[in-house]
Amino acid sequence: MIRQIEKHFNKMVADGSADETQTAILAKDDQLLCQGSDSLLPLGQAVLDRLNVVSLVVATPPLPLLDVLLGRLAADATEISPLDTETRTFLHDIPVVRQSEFSVERPERLVELLGQRKGILVEGVGIMATGSVTVELAYINYSSVYHALFIKVLLDLLLHKDPSLKEIKPLGSLWAQMHTPIPESVDFLSSLAPDRESILRAIDETGRRTVELKLVDSFFGNISCRSEQQLYISQTGASLDDLAGCIDLVADDNSSTAGITASSELIAHRAIYQQTDAATILHGHPKFSVILSLLCDETDCKVEDCWKDCSRVRSLADTPVVAGEVGAGGIAKNVPPVIAASGTAVVYGHGVFAIGREDFVTPLRALIRLENYCRQEYLCRLKARVPEETQLILSGPDPA
Amino acid sequence: MNGWCGRLLTVDLTSGRISIEPLAPELLQTYLGGRGLGVRLFRDSYQLDPFAKEIPLIFAVGPLCGTASPTSARLSVVSRSPLTGTIYDCSAGGRFAWRLKAAGFDAVKISGQSKSPVVLSITPEGGKLLPADKLWGLPVKGTVQALSDHGSVAAIGPAGENRVLFANIMMGEGNAVGRGGLGAVMGAKQLKALTVDGDRKYEPLDRPRFDHARKDIMRLFRASPVIFGDLGIAEYGTPALVDLMAQRRMAPTENFRKTVFAKSGQYSGPAIKRAYQPKKDGCYACPIQCKKSTQEGVPLPEYETVSHFGALNGIDDLRSIVNSNTLCNQLGMDTISAAVTLAAWGELRGEFLRAEEIGPLLNDMAMRQGDGDQLAEGSARLAEQHGQPQLSMSVKGLELPAYDPRGAYGMALAYCTSNRGGCHLRAYPISHEILRKPVATDRFSFAGKARIIKIAEDTNATIDSLVACKFSFFGASLEEYGELLSAMTGIEYSPQLLKEIGERIYLTERFYNQQNGFTASDDQLPERFFTEPGSAGEGIEVPPVDRQRFTEELIKYYRIRGLTDDGRFTDDSYLDRQP
Repeated sequence: MIRQIEKHFNKMVADGSADETQTAILAKDDQLLCQGSDSLLPLGQAVLDRLNVVSLVVATPPLPLLDVLLGRLAADATEISPLDTETRTFLHDIPVVRQSEFSVERPERLVELLGQRKGILVEGVGIMATGSVTVELAYINYSSVYHALFIKVLLDLLLHKDPSLKEIKPLGSLWAQMHTPIPESVDFLSSLAPDRESILRAIDETGRRTVELKLVDSFFGNISCRSEQQLYISQTGASLDDLAGCIDLVADDNSSTAGITASSELIAHRAIYQQTDAATILHGHPKFSVILSLLCDETDCKVEDCWKDCSRVRSLADTPVVAGEVGAGGIAKNVPPVIAASGTAVVYGHGVFAIGREDFVTPLRALIRLENYCRQEYLCRLKARVPEETQLILSGPDPA
Repeated sequence: MNGWCGRLLTVDLTSGRISIEPLAPELLQTYLGGRGLGVRLFRDSYQLDPFAKEIPLIFAVGPLCGTASPTSARLSVVSRSPLTGTIYDCSAGGRFAWRLKAAGFDAVKISGQSKSPVVLSITPEGGKLLPADKLWGLPVKGTVQALSDHGSVAAIGPAGENRVLFANIMMGEGNAVGRGGLGAVMGAKQLKALTVDGDRKYEPLDRPRFDHARKDIMRLFRASPVIFGDLGIAEYGTPALVDLMAQRRMAPTENFRKTVFAKSGQYSGPAIKRAYQPKKDGCYACPIQCKKSTQEGVPLPEYETVSHFGALNGIDDLRSIVNSNTLCNQLGMDTISAAVTLAAWGELRGEFLRAEEIGPLLNDMAMRQGDGDQLAEGSARLAEQHGQPQLSMSVKGLELPAYDPRGAYGMALAYCTSNRGGCHLRAYPISHEILRKPVATDRFSFAGKARIIKIAEDTNATIDSLVACKFSFFGASLEEYGELLSAMTGIEYSPQLLKEIGERIYLTERFYNQQNGFTASDDQLPERFFTEPGSAGEGIEVPPVDRQRFTEELIKYYRIRGLTDDGRFTDDSYLDRQP
């Protein structure tokens, strides 16, 4: 278990969702095991002692995103509703706890809320998330909450109150990072031979590279390849950067149900293969593609649950955007008819599907290009909402 | 009080006295319903012999029954098992639970013993005993048909009448109160059947919140590959697991001597679909409809049944397996225990049964005639009687289901810590060790499993008390069901609070067992699993379970439960401290 703690501590730091000096992971076996910041461990232990779960992650993201978000919330706000569809499905809402409501000696409010939800936003601390089964589950829940809040705050900067200098300036490193495009050099990926070993190797490399490029956090996505009347597809809950042993084979004719553990998007993957000439599919949740997919120009629309009920095909840099729920809930119906032309489709508030005809280079490159476009488009839109002096911060490094 | 009726129907079959008694709101709110309520109502009776006249047989529904809560039209039946001697509960679906709630009862407590066979007929006004001499001896189907004018039916077959130690109570729709022999307890009371009718409806206290939570659950169901995936149980039923267990090399074969059966593809989910073109079937108002039946409405076997009447007995004939299932259902016998007992019999004889021998022997078991009489005692007593107790693949006398413990170490531990004996459903680690829900764990490692099992046992005790179907939890969690319950009752039930309720139920059961003489020596796997490997192949090794690591993790489990290192309560006052 201690190895699990160490592994996920390192993952959180590597994926940029947590500040190394402000992260703690705790787990209960028959005794407490932990790693991380001395300043967070006492609070973590006070909370974990009172919960019937296995693990707890307490961490502060390196960017002050949560401070910006908290500053934008009404003083009496008690929860945040995620806007992206996947975290909305699994998290429902994210409770908010103010600094005055808890201390190491008084953790009851934190315990109460973590007894109800998988993760919470804690003013002055960051995010706390539990794992009822494993350390990995606490990491996944942390990562989901971080993803949801990242999207929430950046979308809020575009849609609601005009961003102030006080909000934009502390996020300077994020804006700077966005000016450096994600490199498109993915040609090193193995070519796709029809044999099992080559396919598994290509899937493994592609998944790993997708995470290394920080296109997605590790468990936010799935991948497949179709060869000789069967599908090789990542298993449900598999991490894209750790796919060895986590690929299921699913026969076209359903002659075996051993693939019952395949990704929840199996239905969508199959439908895409049936309706296009795709040989590979890569699906991920790049943050800025998700954020921009949530922008809609409609002003007189009667649809309330856009993420599942919108019947329009919108467009994001010539990429179609459609609605649809996870799994058996609509993605499989809406994505296949629109993906063939551009090779890419965005699901409203969810993520991107990209197909390749020969290999994984094409879909991975498509994901990168779309995300790079969305980053720049985001910056443009944000600039338009801030005064001139603040725009400089968003303009990127001085060419000189 | 919303969500509960506050009424208990008590029936004394000896005197024929039937009355309606109030159930205190605090009791219902603290123990919820189903298993929890049944276990609590059993507090004054747990030391009675399973066949004692006075022992109660309790049918209890939950606060979500009778609503649109997904998979919640279920009940639990609680008593002491004649097979295991443990406290026993079993959850079952169908329509009976819904009707019982619609009649305005949270529970029915039946004690005493009738002089002649009777049927208990329940309506909103109370209960009535009807003579059942003409029904005695009938199989389940005939009994259900004869009583169809009285509403929903729960009945025993000849196996229950003849006290087969693994006799079921069968719901009219084919669902079973299975495993521990509560059908025999019912038979000993000369109670052939219960019927129930009612039309009361239940409205959540907070309808918008209830509907919101319901939508959340349905969205999670749709996102779950196990439930609504292309290869999931809604499409193939639980036999969807046949291919997976074969691939994982943990399908018990030939009385657990091997873990792969080369011909399991003959009775896999796709094979059944090809052979029978099944229609979807299932419990009242359940959106999943995982049960499958023939076009004529005959229930088709579940995963455990196909695997145990198949691989475990070395049989690949799908028609024979389906026939065994139908026979067990009609005779009112548990398919897992029946099949494991037959496999033990095969190994004892040195030759497994041929497909054509199975049917007649099942009939003999139910009628307690010929060799069937000793088989009706279950595998543990059978193997003991033949001087080879190690050939019974059971824990606490309950035959093991179709997940070989050498292929999933959490399952190995959970078979042993289960309060009702070798059952996969108490902690259901297959969910994470094999099906990757809610997250995957390493099936060949004990690390961390003690606490995982403890938490899952608490959670599942709550689920059995709501009463909801465990398959729901391949998608949803107590987070969403807590919302439903809070919206229904107006009382805030967080997942944390619900797990505390589950923990109390679990510990109460363990305390009953301890007082009845169960010790850590009963929390053990059959020796075979520590000494013989499973069937290796395709890059997967299936070594024997490491006894030292197993024991270490079991002791960890006891500590996490607050028990002594030998699994005992620190004092005898546990029940005194409980509400």
